[in-house]
Amino acid sequence: MALLEMANITKTFGGLKAISDVTFSLEKGRIVSIIGPNGAGKTTFFNTLTGIYRPDTGTIKFNGKSLVGLRTDQIAACGIARTFQNIRLFADMTVIENIMVGMHVHLKQSPLQTLLRLPGFNREEKEAEVKALRLMQYVGLNNVENELAKNLPYGAQRRLEIARALAADPQLLLLDEPAAGMNPQETEDIIKLFRDIRDNMGITILLIEHDMRVVMNISEDICVMDYGEKIAQGSPAEIRNNTKVIEAYLGRGAVAGQHEEKLQ
Amino acid sequence: MAATSFKEVFDKLNQGVVGYVVILLHVVAGSYLVYSQPRSNLAFLVFISSLLSLYFFRADNRFKILVGMLLALVIIPVIGVRNIFYLEVIFQISVFAALSLGLNIVVGFTGLLNLGYVAFYAVGAYLWAFFGSQQFYVLNYAPGTQPPDLPFLLPGDAFYLFLLVAVIIAAITGILLGLPVMRLKGDYLAIVTLGFGEVIRVLANNLDKPINLTNGPQGITPIQRPTMPEWVVDLFNSLFSGVIGHDVKLADMYNVMFYFFALLVIIAIIFVTKRLDDSKIGRAWTAVREDEIAAVAQGIPIVRMKLLAFAVGASFAGLMGVLLAASRTFISPESFNFMQSIGVLSMVILGGIGSIPGVILGAAVLTILNLQVLQGFSLYLNDLRQSDAVIPVINFAWKDLSTQLDPAKYQKLLFGLILIIMMIFRPEGLIPAKRRKRDVSVDETK
Amino acid sequence: MKQFLRYLNVKELVRPIGQMLAFSLGSAAVMSAIILVLALVLDKTAVGTALVNKLNVSLFSYTLSNLPQVVIDGLTIGFVYAAIALGYTMVYGVLQFINFAHSEIFAVGAFVGVEVLIFLQTLGVLSGASVFMAYAYLSLAILLAMLAAGGLAVTVEKIAYRPLRNAPRLVPLTAAIGVSFLLQDLIRLVEGLTTGQFNRIIPTFGNFDDRITGKMTLGATKLFIGISVKSIIVIVAAVLMLVALNYLVNATKVGKAIRAVSQDMRTASLMGINVNRIISITFLVGGLLGGAAGLLYALKFTRIDPFIGFFPGIKAFTAAVLGGIGNMTGALLGGIILGLLETFAGSYLGVFTMGAAGSEYKDIFAFSILILVLIFRPQGLMGKNVGQKA
Repeated sequence: MALLEMANITKTFGGLKAISDVTFSLEKGRIVSIIGPNGAGKTTFFNTLTGIYRPDTGTIKFNGKSLVGLRTDQIAACGIARTFQNIRLFADMTVIENIMVGMHVHLKQSPLQTLLRLPGFNREEKEAEVKALRLMQYVGLNNVENELAKNLPYGAQRRLEIARALAADPQLLLLDEPAAGMNPQETEDIIKLFRDIRDNMGITILLIEHDMRVVMNISEDICVMDYGEKIAQGSPAEIRNNTKVIEAYLGRGAVAGQHEEKLQ
Repeated sequence: MAATSFKEVFDKLNQGVVGYVVILLHVVAGSYLVYSQPRSNLAFLVFISSLLSLYFFRADNRFKILVGMLLALVIIPVIGVRNIFYLEVIFQISVFAALSLGLNIVVGFTGLLNLGYVAFYAVGAYLWAFFGSQQFYVLNYAPGTQPPDLPFLLPGDAFYLFLLVAVIIAAITGILLGLPVMRLKGDYLAIVTLGFGEVIRVLANNLDKPINLTNGPQGITPIQRPTMPEWVVDLFNSLFSGVIGHDVKLADMYNVMFYFFALLVIIAIIFVTKRLDDSKIGRAWTAVREDEIAAVAQGIPIVRMKLLAFAVGASFAGLMGVLLAASRTFISPESFNFMQSIGVLSMVILGGIGSIPGVILGAAVLTILNLQVLQGFSLYLNDLRQSDAVIPVINFAWKDLSTQLDPAKYQKLLFGLILIIMMIFRPEGLIPAKRRKRDVSVDETK
Repeated sequence: MKQFLRYLNVKELVRPIGQMLAFSLGSAAVMSAIILVLALVLDKTAVGTALVNKLNVSLFSYTLSNLPQVVIDGLTIGFVYAAIALGYTMVYGVLQFINFAHSEIFAVGAFVGVEVLIFLQTLGVLSGASVFMAYAYLSLAILLAMLAAGGLAVTVEKIAYRPLRNAPRLVPLTAAIGVSFLLQDLIRLVEGLTTGQFNRIIPTFGNFDDRITGKMTLGATKLFIGISVKSIIVIVAAVLMLVALNYLVNATKVGKAIRAVSQDMRTASLMGINVNRIISITFLVGGLLGGAAGLLYALKFTRIDPFIGFFPGIKAFTAAVLGGIGNMTGALLGGIILGLLETFAGSYLGVFTMGAAGSEYKDIFAFSILILVLIFRPQGLMGKNVGQKA
């Protein structure tokens, strides 16, 4: 059984069909990309999956459990973590606190335990701190645990957002343009990080990305969207040669062969 | 640049025994000044500012706690009883500090601008005012027409029970009021809470019919206080009447008692706030304040977390309401108007949103400004009006000064100025909130 | 003249008048129908009996005979709310910011206007003034009230809001609350120092207190319709202002710039629009309307004090939200509906609840509506539903 199964999803805003009858499934342990021109409906797709929007029609199943109608926080608690296109950190909290917020759904401390500082509470907090620190170092941040998130440089903020998402021990990690604004070296590092997350933590990764170096390098499967519809899905090699995809990116009438440099 | 260099100089000075010496000198000098000149506002300011020294100068925590307890439990009550006005000032500071700390949970930690916070204060106050007075037997009389000699519904000591009841009722009110509006954006929520504040006040004003629940604009009086055992008064007198210079009366002893109650509430709020802040709940609150969309993506149920903050904040206000009703023995709707809400908000903003020491400082500064500086200024102007003095250059006789110019009545001007100036120049407040630094290393678990 | 007419966009002059007529008549008709049905239903119950015992009149004919007056009063106050609401809605449209101090801009307008009239009275020109001169004096007072309020609004924006334009949303709101408090006490201070009192009463002059009355028989019930001249002045002045505003926003270059800034401030500035100037103009226009509304309010209710702005301000804000904040037509509709609802409630609530709750709850009535709107239709009656963006 696939980890995530979405069938016939449609979402409209007013008269505009942001997503139209999209069916998509994702096997456990894979790294899959969603690509498409601006306005193709990729972010709406993420927002529908995470419960920010409720789809007009269609079903979403995660581990066999229906997600439609659940609140965003409930969906997150099912094991889906995400990052955001325009980095959304808790700016005035420290780095380690940001990561600890990510553990929210796993912390069992009750209000009573919290107020009385019972041993269970102290133990759990200590463990959470250590785990947060490990995650921080894992994504490549060192000695910044007590810095405020807003004071980190851009690349570090992207990494912190990933650490925060990992803190929830997700089964599925959604990354919304994780390489945006990064230089080639940073991009290469972060690709390595994603591979490691999948290989060593066993977390399935679904990402939206514009940077074709990233997409072609890392994806095992690519789903292409255009005008709210899924127009193709397949391996990087297949997508590279798919005429529909080329048309979507370069416009109708684009000659085969011209697309090569664009896509590579 | 100037600010950083000042901080550097201060830090250089603030080392070793300097802190101990400054704190002790300040406390002793302040106490002596107030003791020798019980009518001087300046002496009182010197005295009360010793709390600032206690906060800012470096010393062992046990020493600070000891000095703090000595101040709060012995020196302040004694000085207060010597001059009842100071006791009133100190009591009001503690009441407003407690309210500001409660509001701080909602505004500071969770980022919900609540402009109707006194509504919960009113709920607590009217709760005890109703059950702790004769009002139950006045239900069927229009205000002012009830016969004399009605019995009291409950004994005065039920006050203690109602401290708890008020916490629960205020929390429930907070949840009920919050439930429909928690999904609103911040600025809408602010206006709606303002509306709730006004609704509660208008209800208090008008629920003297069809049945007389609140006694309308005249308010409810007398409200009972808990009994004070005689030996407490005797003990206090045997210990301190020498220092004070006269025997303390029961009424003054009550003021001391309510000051202690308020102090207890402050300690309770600080305790609860600190512990919640440094836990899953507190982190979730701050996350909601910082970015709701990111918070909900971490699995935080934001509506529930906001309601919790609302309820906790409300419960402390309810508690203080009971205290207010009992200490004043009289309440009326006008004690709970919009200006009170904004006053408490100003205290939080002046001191530093989210900062416990800041909020207490804000409450103290504004209360002192209100009760002492503005009123002192009013009295001074009055004296000038009585005299034959003339402003030299423009040849203006003070006695021609309009009696409308009464600074004590211009609190709104003060609150307004503080809000504007703080927002433009120092939105983080006098003592900005700090995040806790964690000392953690990976190999600790091994 | 022909030249002038060619440049005049007649459609934008006629359209708002049509809207106002439709909104007024529509809302009035709907609410009258509801209240009459309610009266018919309750007539046979204890409510009706109580009224018969007290006033010897059936609930239905009581309701019907008061109805014309209630509708006229409701429309009068509704237009005042609409004029204030436009100030909130325009600023919100441009800055996404609730200008809490707008209620004090309104109050300043009221005070300046009333003080001008009081000054004219002390000159002795008011008492014997001809009808024409009376209207001239009133217009002068309105004009000065508008200028003072408009100038103040622009100044407040420059000093208190502009430095905070990029701060988190609650920061300028808090500053605006501060400005509101500050202005209330400043009015009180200035009035106290200069006149020794801060409750002012608008002088009586002209024919403003006259009433035009009519009688009309409807079956067994006699309907008395009376409308005071000042109500007509309020409505006419408000209509003129609203038409002018609509023309400014929808048919001039400045208006186009205002609309562009409210769509997207950054893009507008890239298109060469001076955003700061447009924001100032927005505050100016809102202030002018608010100031005029202040004096009209004073004319209608005669007595003013420094805190006079609070409730009209809150209600106008409610009207803006009810209509869909940021939407000018919505503010007009919201103002009219709220004015009518409030007047209906104030007039009939007492009778319909047998005295348990009456007009004393009028002032918090708006809050209940505000809360209901925000819960069930936060985008307002005419607003568009905008999805949340991640």
